[in-house]
Amino acid sequence: MFRRSSARLALVALAAAVFAATLAAQNAPPPLVSAQELLDGLKADGSRWLTFGGDYGNHRHSPLTQITPENVNRLVPQWVFQTDTPGRFETTPLLRDNVLYVTGPLNLAWAIDARTGREIWRYKRELPPTGGLTACCGLVNKGFGVLGDRLFMTTLDAHLLALDMKTGNVVWDTTMADYSKGYASTIAPLVVKDKVIVGVAGGEYGIRGFIAAFDARTGKEAWRFYTIPGPGEPGNDTWAGDSWERGGASIWVTGAYDPDLGMVYYGIGNPGPDYHSDSRKGDNLYSDSIVALDTETGKLRWHYQFTPHDLHDWDATQVPILADLTIAGQPRKVVMLANRNGFFYTLDRTNGKLIVGKPFVVTTWAKEIGPDGRPVILPGYVPDEKGQLTCPDVTGATNFWPPSYDPSQRLFLVNAREVCATYYAWKQEYVPGERYTGGAGQRARGPGMRAYGALRALDPTTGERRWEFEYISPSTSGLLSTASGVIFSGDAEGNFLAIDARTGKFLWRFQMGSALHGTSAITYMLDGRQQVLVPAGTTLTAWALSDVPRVPGTR
Amino acid sequence: MKWIYLAAAVLVLGAAELVAQDVFVKIPADLPGKNPLEGNSEAITAGMGAYRVRCADCHGMDARGIRGPDITQVWVRGRTDAALFSTIRNGVPSTEMPAHPAPRTSDMDIWRILAYLKTMAPATAAGPSSGNATAGEGVFATNCVGCHRIGEKGGRLGPDLSRIGVARARAAMARQIRGTMDDFRTGFEPVTLTAPNGQEIRGVKKNEDLFSVQIMDTRERIQGYLREDMRAVTNEKKSAMPAFGGDKLTDAQLDDLLTYLESLQGTTAAPAAGNR
Repeated sequence: MFRRSSARLALVALAAAVFAATLAAQNAPPPLVSAQELLDGLKADGSRWLTFGGDYGNHRHSPLTQITPENVNRLVPQWVFQTDTPGRFETTPLLRDNVLYVTGPLNLAWAIDARTGREIWRYKRELPPTGGLTACCGLVNKGFGVLGDRLFMTTLDAHLLALDMKTGNVVWDTTMADYSKGYASTIAPLVVKDKVIVGVAGGEYGIRGFIAAFDARTGKEAWRFYTIPGPGEPGNDTWAGDSWERGGASIWVTGAYDPDLGMVYYGIGNPGPDYHSDSRKGDNLYSDSIVALDTETGKLRWHYQFTPHDLHDWDATQVPILADLTIAGQPRKVVMLANRNGFFYTLDRTNGKLIVGKPFVVTTWAKEIGPDGRPVILPGYVPDEKGQLTCPDVTGATNFWPPSYDPSQRLFLVNAREVCATYYAWKQEYVPGERYTGGAGQRARGPGMRAYGALRALDPTTGERRWEFEYISPSTSGLLSTASGVIFSGDAEGNFLAIDARTGKFLWRFQMGSALHGTSAITYMLDGRQQVLVPAGTTLTAWALSDVPRVPGTR
Repeated sequence: MKWIYLAAAVLVLGAAELVAQDVFVKIPADLPGKNPLEGNSEAITAGMGAYRVRCADCHGMDARGIRGPDITQVWVRGRTDAALFSTIRNGVPSTEMPAHPAPRTSDMDIWRILAYLKTMAPATAAGPSSGNATAGEGVFATNCVGCHRIGEKGGRLGPDLSRIGVARARAAMARQIRGTMDDFRTGFEPVTLTAPNGQEIRGVKKNEDLFSVQIMDTRERIQGYLREDMRAVTNEKKSAMPAFGGDKLTDAQLDDLLTYLESLQGTTAAPAAGNR
């Protein structure tokens, strides 16, 4: 009797001590977000998600293993957050110290308690007066960057903001470009050391694109790389006449960073006008290219152009992924990109040389990528007033929705589209601020023209397909994979899906009521339970396993 | 910006007499009354491309109407450039004609399309169509009312036809009735579900995803089914609507029916907007 109660007492005392220690740990303010933390990427303890792709290589692959192919069907919702505004999420939320930092549509942003889904602060930047904004493709935003106690966010009127993480108050506000001339920005900033790297969009409105780095402390511009070279610069002669001045080449998606090589890698948008190209004869560098820039100076280290002199709006606005692979017995540092033009590329990221270039959907415009790295063009490539049927369609074989990379199985995972289009082109005069495309593409319909999508798993050393999971229509969802072999995806009909990474087989679903679009779920640990956070439509929903107990204050 | 309200006539087709329903739409006061790009050759070329991509699916490459109405006749029937601009900008309620808002579609985009359309417009109106609408109403009551609704009367398996005269070209309706049209309208694709016991449920598909299908069956029951609960979900190749060949409907009867359908401009109770 005595012994038992003393044991109980001891237990109670121990529990109290643990609780006190936990409380103390909880009450200690976390250190500021360091550059080292960003370098470390996702940690095994699941304590954070601090960059667009989870890590600088853009893997979107979590080391967490609590949720498995066997138990994923026991996921239950923990809470739902509603924006209470029109417009939808295309954002990758960030997580640190149990708080989510989320950008939304219409220049909105929030800090949200990850335990409850309750708002901590809300930021809203007023949009310019009606008619002033010409953001091409939705009044959206792709997410924050973070360093120290500051969040960085691009705006629809082409500003870059630093917000105080604790309050959402603006610390500095830098104008990147003039929105009334068609410039906009929706990209998630890439924070490298003390710099915030972003880019501008507006390629459908005759802009001249650029990538720029800003000092994280002051907001002062450190360097700027024009994605179209100016007079006297190498590559300017790839644009006829003065077409370089408004050739587009936007930046839509966040790049990757290799700290050892000191380079960032960005995919560049299409040349304008999109379809009618007489006015811009030449290769039109660096449109539809990937560029490697020196992080200190912004100088071009190398470039590779996927689609020289593009006629189909096949911009290279796909997320580049870095990996170290063994190819033909040789260790290679590579950058991989599944391109809108239908080809999957693996390049040597030290010098931009082509290693693999292979179609991952039906392509009718190029026979192959030649040994010189240029596509071997097939007849019927040039759109005209009558229209030319070409695969892929305008939206492309894939697009801005992020792929993921599972290094343990060496799988490049991408939501691909199998759709063809009739492309038209006509001559168009440039009017500042007006849409400037010179044509259009129309999705091809009719017998035998099935349009569908598929999650495809590619071997990046060969471009070969390992397996696929078919959707009834093309999906625009990004992908999250985990070390336990679960892939989280979404379809266009609003299903949130779990797929087995080993086989491509369906595991679990939930109808969200709105499709994941242009982004993926993220995952992290909270109070001992692995959480999966899903941005879909106007909601964020947190999921965890029903049968795993909460242990407050632990990871 | 200062706005005035302008009564703009909805597009009509076929019938010689205009029985257009007035819809009130906002037209900015500073919108030109006349197309500023009319006759401009570059605008016409650009407008042609834009027309083919964005309009030709429904109105036809020659703008004489496929599913949507003939829009070469709009000027000779007295519609103004400003009213047509407004129709394109705002769409036509309760039909498949969508709005084309800024900034995706600029003012100039619309004027270019109209500049191109004008080049295809005849100087004089087409002659009145033959057929007797009253007789056509009788043909409808005998053959069509079981599945199609007009105002408060009729079935719901097929599309509501209360405004079909606004939404469809006469020739397109003729092809649909004769059974020579090869596409199904979204929300009316024929489908057969086979239960595990072999029992079949026929209907039209209202929605679907990877895991489920939502239908209206031939008894007008709307219901969702999980694919895993069914032995098969089969997309049928033939429309749920029977073909009315010459044996079922003479040319004269068809003519009467088409004239009746063209007169349906939705002036009575507003129907549901085509389900989806």
